[in-house]
Amino acid sequence: MEKVMMGNHAISYGVQLARVQVIAAYPITPQTQVVEILSEFCADGRLDAKFIKVESEHSVMAAVVGASMAGVRAFTASSSHGLALMHEVLHWASGGRLPIVMAEINRTLGPGWNVWTEQTDSLAQRDTGWMQFYCETNQEALDSVLMGYKIAEKVRLPVMLVLDAFVLSHTEEPVNVPDQAAVDAFLPPYEPRYRLQPGAPGVPGEPHSFFGLVGPEHWMELRFKMQQAMEEAVDVSRQVGAEFGRTFGRPYDLLESYRMDGAELALFTAGSITGTSREVVDELREQGLSIGLVKLRMFRPFPYAAVRQALAGVKKVAVIDRNMSYGCGGIFASELRSALYGSTSQPVVFPFIIGLGGRDVTPQSIRDIVTHLRQHDRPESETIWMEVKR
Amino acid sequence: MSHIINFRSVSEMPDVAMSLGTTRYNKTGSWRYLRPLYRNRTSPCFAACPAGEDIAQHLRWVKEGQYERALTRILEENPFPGVCGRVCPHPCEAECNRAELGGAVAIHHVERFLADLPIARCLPVVRPIDPDAPAAAVIGSGPAGLSCAYQLARLGRPVTVFEALNEPGGMMRVGIPPYRLPRAVLDAEIESIAALGVPIRTNKRLGDTLSWDELKPFKALFLAFGQHVSKKLDIPGEELAGVVAGLDFLRQVNLGKKVKVGRSVAVIGGGNTAMDAARSALRLGAQKVTILYRRSRNEMPAIAEEIEETQAEGIHFQYLSAPVHVLGDAGHVTGLRCVQMTLGDPDERGRRKPIPVSGSDFTVPADMVITALGQDADLSPVAGSVDIRSGLLAINETGLTSCPTVFAGGDCATGFGTVAWAVGSGKRGALAIDKYLRGEALEGFPPLREHGSGGSTVLAAPREVDPAVVTFQDINQAYFESEPRAVQRQKPVGRRVKSMRSEVNLGLSEADVRCEAERCFSCGTCNGCDNCWVYCPDVAISRLNHEDYVIDYDFCKGCGLCAEECPREAIAIEEELKWKK
Repeated sequence: MEKVMMGNHAISYGVQLARVQVIAAYPITPQTQVVEILSEFCADGRLDAKFIKVESEHSVMAAVVGASMAGVRAFTASSSHGLALMHEVLHWASGGRLPIVMAEINRTLGPGWNVWTEQTDSLAQRDTGWMQFYCETNQEALDSVLMGYKIAEKVRLPVMLVLDAFVLSHTEEPVNVPDQAAVDAFLPPYEPRYRLQPGAPGVPGEPHSFFGLVGPEHWMELRFKMQQAMEEAVDVSRQVGAEFGRTFGRPYDLLESYRMDGAELALFTAGSITGTSREVVDELREQGLSIGLVKLRMFRPFPYAAVRQALAGVKKVAVIDRNMSYGCGGIFASELRSALYGSTSQPVVFPFIIGLGGRDVTPQSIRDIVTHLRQHDRPESETIWMEVKR
Repeated sequence: MSHIINFRSVSEMPDVAMSLGTTRYNKTGSWRYLRPLYRNRTSPCFAACPAGEDIAQHLRWVKEGQYERALTRILEENPFPGVCGRVCPHPCEAECNRAELGGAVAIHHVERFLADLPIARCLPVVRPIDPDAPAAAVIGSGPAGLSCAYQLARLGRPVTVFEALNEPGGMMRVGIPPYRLPRAVLDAEIESIAALGVPIRTNKRLGDTLSWDELKPFKALFLAFGQHVSKKLDIPGEELAGVVAGLDFLRQVNLGKKVKVGRSVAVIGGGNTAMDAARSALRLGAQKVTILYRRSRNEMPAIAEEIEETQAEGIHFQYLSAPVHVLGDAGHVTGLRCVQMTLGDPDERGRRKPIPVSGSDFTVPADMVITALGQDADLSPVAGSVDIRSGLLAINETGLTSCPTVFAGGDCATGFGTVAWAVGSGKRGALAIDKYLRGEALEGFPPLREHGSGGSTVLAAPREVDPAVVTFQDINQAYFESEPRAVQRQKPVGRRVKSMRSEVNLGLSEADVRCEAERCFSCGTCNGCDNCWVYCPDVAISRLNHEDYVIDYDFCKGCGLCAEECPREAIAIEEELKWKK
């Protein structure tokens, strides 16, 4: 069924189709609509789930962790300051190996209150042990919820789905809403390995504890297992994306190479900037320029091999970072350099910073980036700030 | 006991930090330095109730729809819920913490509702009467005497009541008119006491138709013959025909005697007797009824609701007016010469003293004058047998008189003048007599106090409570919103003043009663709300039966969440050290 809907509601419909059982949320712009419509679904019975209102995002994540521990499929959504407040409990979700899915609408962190889009909030959580997927379209947002639970429940790690504020969250696009029966076949009910209930699968009949003290003699092993799960998630994500394609006709991969055949130059993007970049790539290709685009979908775990393969043979790559690690640089650029280090025929990485605080990134912005790329052999600084009023 | 597990490889380990065996061995209660305890504290209504009713407790049962259980809890303390639910000035409501959020709980309406339930009255006895046990006699069948007899009978003691008049009930019958207290309600409550095996022998007036010799077989005596003598006006003209004492007037009316009232009636006084006399006169055909009171509305001792009802019925109130002379013609009253008063400094009871304004004389025409200036006890039958103090029988805190076998209570010993106080003092007398007849020492009886001076009561079936009274600040206000108090229905004035028997107040509907019980904070009294059980982060609280909870101290870490989240201050926190000793 085709529906025209905003990105936030695409997430909500995905959650409904995934038959999520517990939703806990605290409102924050630009996320609120995600859970607002879900609360209506819960109230009118379209979704048979418990909706928990709590007093802060910290409690949101605690409630979702509790629900997931109890063995149900749980969901939440947040943004920016709300996500920052969750930080502590994000570790408990991943360390607890809980397959929670959270929609994260990229929003700028204050001060200088700003509700517009920027990727720094989600990227600041990259070391929490959550998988991260960046979405380009509303369709991809809905589909990613369904794939997200499937991947998360397979490798038992939480998933963060990331959307740009307003550009996706509040922008209406036609979205294909899959048939419930097909979704049910694709995503069967959650079968937890452990459950916070004496006598449940994997749990002795007597009272027992989760998340208790673990000393240095075992700590590393637990975290080694987490890293193993992350590594496993690379293949699992690829397989789930392919299975989704076979079932629903829309295949997904860890990243997408667009017009990269024989490309000498490449744009490296994540999120909605990808859409704008596609247009510019088409335009420049028509003008005879050998340029392509690599769109990163999965940021955690980082798809090292796929990235190296996608950029093999490219001379220069422009990384478009709508985020900043102050005193270092664009975060995608840093990650990409690290991934390429030591590989044969490394392209030169140009680290562009653009569109912070929600400033529009237009086709002309992308053209200017490509012009800069063509005019320079190497980047002249650690960061290349575009469109700054100097 | 604990043991160390050493995994040799990650493949042996679970994926998350979890215990592989039971955690019961780890008695985390040993970390506790604070101990939560279910310890009910005293609710302000309970502290204020002269009859010692455990109000929060019975409201809980009402809230849960357990009406009979609620009624039984009242009846353990007070055999007159139908009477008190109608005529008590409800000091409980004056102290109610709910007053801050929508008005005090309508406690007396709930009591009336329970008493009026169409179910057979079954008084909760502790043990059947043992006919061979030493017997007690009660003189007077008013609320004090019958409360005493009832509690003695509950405790299995044979008891006989002697009543001077030909019908039992004392002031409840001869003082309170039937439009406030229907006779069927009173008769039923008295009958239920008699049905326990308590003989009530009427027309037995002490010193007249009842001799001291007749009382010899009884091993203890409870004197509760009340105050039935009206105070005199002490002004010229008081002997004129048409001047009647309020209590005499009400007694005649209430015993069904034909009483002729004047066209224009003046009632002197500001208490409940004045209101009852004025309203009765109106119902018996008086054209104009005026209440003369020497102070202002603020100082009037009558129950506020009764003053309002009296005013609503068109009775005229003339404040700051004191009669100085009863005027007459041919031996019959024609009016009152009055003087205007002004209010001076407060007296020892806090009421401002009336001071005459010189030259302010005025006349109130009246062909009938009813005096209601207060009442005294007729102590002549016991004079010389027991000590008398300030016109009352002298008693100690147990109700014992100067004679070791004679106890006393109610108005003749306290002068408090209200049913609930009489019920409380009768109950105290019964407990003391029972102890005395067992040969036990009379200890542990707090003194009865008049309302307004931090009233203290004795329970027939005491429960363990912390004596500290719960205040509004003790209540966890996060759990309560302002909700308005229910208002009872009343018969319209035009209909109700036509008959002495037409009950004015009609009480609350069942739905309103349930709302009132819901509004109760249940101050200091656990009502099974489950909050502690929900909040305990250690799952250390269990529900025994949805009424009581138990804390597993092996695992309670003493975090105090249960006490903090208890909406009603029914959980105490104590230092663990105190318990370790």
